[in-house]
Amino acid sequence: MKSPAKTEESFYAGQTRILEMVASDAPLPEILKSSVLLMEKQAEGLVCSILVLSADGIHVQHGAAPSLPEAYVKAVNGAPIGPRNGSCGTAMFLRKPIVVTDVLTDPLWTDYRDLAKICGLRACWSTPILSAQNEVLGSFAMYRQERRGPNAEELSLTQVATHITGIAIGRQRIQQTLHEREARINLAAESADLAFWVIYPSRNAAWMNDKGRAIYGFDANLPLNGNLILSRVHPDERAAVRENFDRACASHGTFESEHRLVLPYGKTRWVIVRGRCLVDEHGNLVELIGVTIDVSAQKQSELQLKNQREQLAHLNRVALMGEMTASIAHELNQPLTAIANNAAAARRFLERGNIDPVLLQQLLQDMIADSQRAGEVIRGIRAMVRKDKSPRSILNLNAIIADTLRLVGSDVVLRESVITTEMDHSLPQVEAVPVQIQQVLINLIMNALDAVEKLPPSERRIVVRTRTDEDGLAEVSVRDFGYGLPKNRPEKVFDHFFSTKQAGMGMGLTIVRSIIETHGGTISAENAPDRGARFFFRLPAARKDQQSQAA
Amino acid sequence: MPVNLEKRGRRAKRMTSTETTAAEIVCLVDDDPTVLKSIGRLLASDGFSFLAFNDPKSFLAHVTSQSVPLVVLDIWMEQMNGLEVQEQLRALSPSTRVIIITGRVDHAATQAALDAGAIAFFIKPFDGEEFLAAVRTALSSSHSK
Repeated sequence: MKSPAKTEESFYAGQTRILEMVASDAPLPEILKSSVLLMEKQAEGLVCSILVLSADGIHVQHGAAPSLPEAYVKAVNGAPIGPRNGSCGTAMFLRKPIVVTDVLTDPLWTDYRDLAKICGLRACWSTPILSAQNEVLGSFAMYRQERRGPNAEELSLTQVATHITGIAIGRQRIQQTLHEREARINLAAESADLAFWVIYPSRNAAWMNDKGRAIYGFDANLPLNGNLILSRVHPDERAAVRENFDRACASHGTFESEHRLVLPYGKTRWVIVRGRCLVDEHGNLVELIGVTIDVSAQKQSELQLKNQREQLAHLNRVALMGEMTASIAHELNQPLTAIANNAAAARRFLERGNIDPVLLQQLLQDMIADSQRAGEVIRGIRAMVRKDKSPRSILNLNAIIADTLRLVGSDVVLRESVITTEMDHSLPQVEAVPVQIQQVLINLIMNALDAVEKLPPSERRIVVRTRTDEDGLAEVSVRDFGYGLPKNRPEKVFDHFFSTKQAGMGMGLTIVRSIIETHGGTISAENAPDRGARFFFRLPAARKDQQSQAA
Repeated sequence: MPVNLEKRGRRAKRMTSTETTAAEIVCLVDDDPTVLKSIGRLLASDGFSFLAFNDPKSFLAHVTSQSVPLVVLDIWMEQMNGLEVQEQLRALSPSTRVIIITGRVDHAATQAALDAGAIAFFIKPFDGEEFLAAVRTALSSSHSK
């Protein structure tokens, strides 16, 4: 016989063990069974059972009853609760303890009396197990073979038992709810190609749903952290994404980014990531939660569309070439004719032996100039015919204009003209092929110089201006103070093929327009309000992240 | 196209040689100044005198007051097609010989020019010697008239 102190001590140890099982998420049937066995050990001849109320709130389920005959357990499992449904069914229904001192006579036991008799059960006291929110989770019952009510010790055991099992069942319910919720979120996430993730910066850990692991190419069981997730970002974009992320962490704000992921086997995905910081009551960053959307399919079709557009632009240029071939031949033939004639003349003068050295020098000088003119034509054609693969870079148009003005500087001086600039210093950067934009500028400026040529030198003014337009596009305008464009249709200037008359680039506004359009921009011409013509083109601003890189 | 429509030196530049008579002066009409200048030099290298016009209208104005034995005429000019010039010339001065120069291979234009009485047709760039030979032939046949 154990001493009372010893018994007490082992009872507490038993309770502790059960609570540990609860804390470590041991399976509920095992926890309930241990609880029953612990209680039964506390009193001689005591038999206990636990029933769990189903989620429907009407039927009972077997919880634990290790000392009751199997036949009895089976009969009770799945029975409904009600006002006259044995001790347990009634206790759960009425949400109060039911003490039946004699199951053989008590009306609550009508349905189970025979079974109880066979099993040798006589008294049954049942107490509802309640959650913290006072919901009925199940019942804890004590059976005796003799006809009597519970004594004080048994009542106190019941209290302990319902308390512990309440915790165990309650916790299991919460976890079940969480699992169901997570399953629902996962289902939604998977159908929307969404990754859900949480990053815990202080613990250097992270969680991601299954879909997220699939998008990022992480094995199901790989422990995650923020750096690991970031390592999947394309190397070209990683620094920008990290900066964005760090900024959000520092400001406890939100972040959004569109970038590429590179998966371990080399596959690339386009994703949009949105996230925000969660802080605790002291304002400390606890975690970052967010979603990642796989937009590869959309991106793919966008890229295809872009390719098609480029293809189309190229075809347009080729078609334009067809139309222009005759004119180009003419354009090329003019300097070639001049060279041939000058050479033939020089030879004849030399043969006659009476050539003036000054004339000879002029002839040679003209031949050089005309060769260069022919070369320009050919370069122009090449640039146009070639499907241009020149790399684009992030440009500051103000700087390109300054460079271009340096290039044409001698022409400007020679033509006794003045070019002034009005630069918008907060002009957005653009993504473009520098040489092509320079070509456009040279064309517009040369045209403007030609336009003012007939004016007295003091009036030969050209203004090159940049500004950010209402839609955030970078706009460059070249304005002259000449005689203006054809009044009825200024835009017609773009329909013409290039001039056959000007020395220099002479590639015409058609090509200028094709360059601007290839860059996703637009170009227009108009007559300025007082006098002269104004040509202006607009180019889209480069993406923000690229701008900062180039700054 | 304001810029490209702007012509430098639209009025005829006269580069005459003093000791020749009007009957031997060759007129040149081409709206490209470099071509015009080079043909003039070619003619000068063979001792011909010439009058250069970079505008067909001023040439036609000249024809009304002066006898012109030979004109070297470009077809593709912005202001007026050489064939039109040739047609007006036929009315103004039927005896003027015409040598056509063109930057484009255009059989219809070639045929039209020859039908209208052009004595030679050169496609740019052309052989200087052949051109001078044609000029000589044209002027001598003009003299023999």
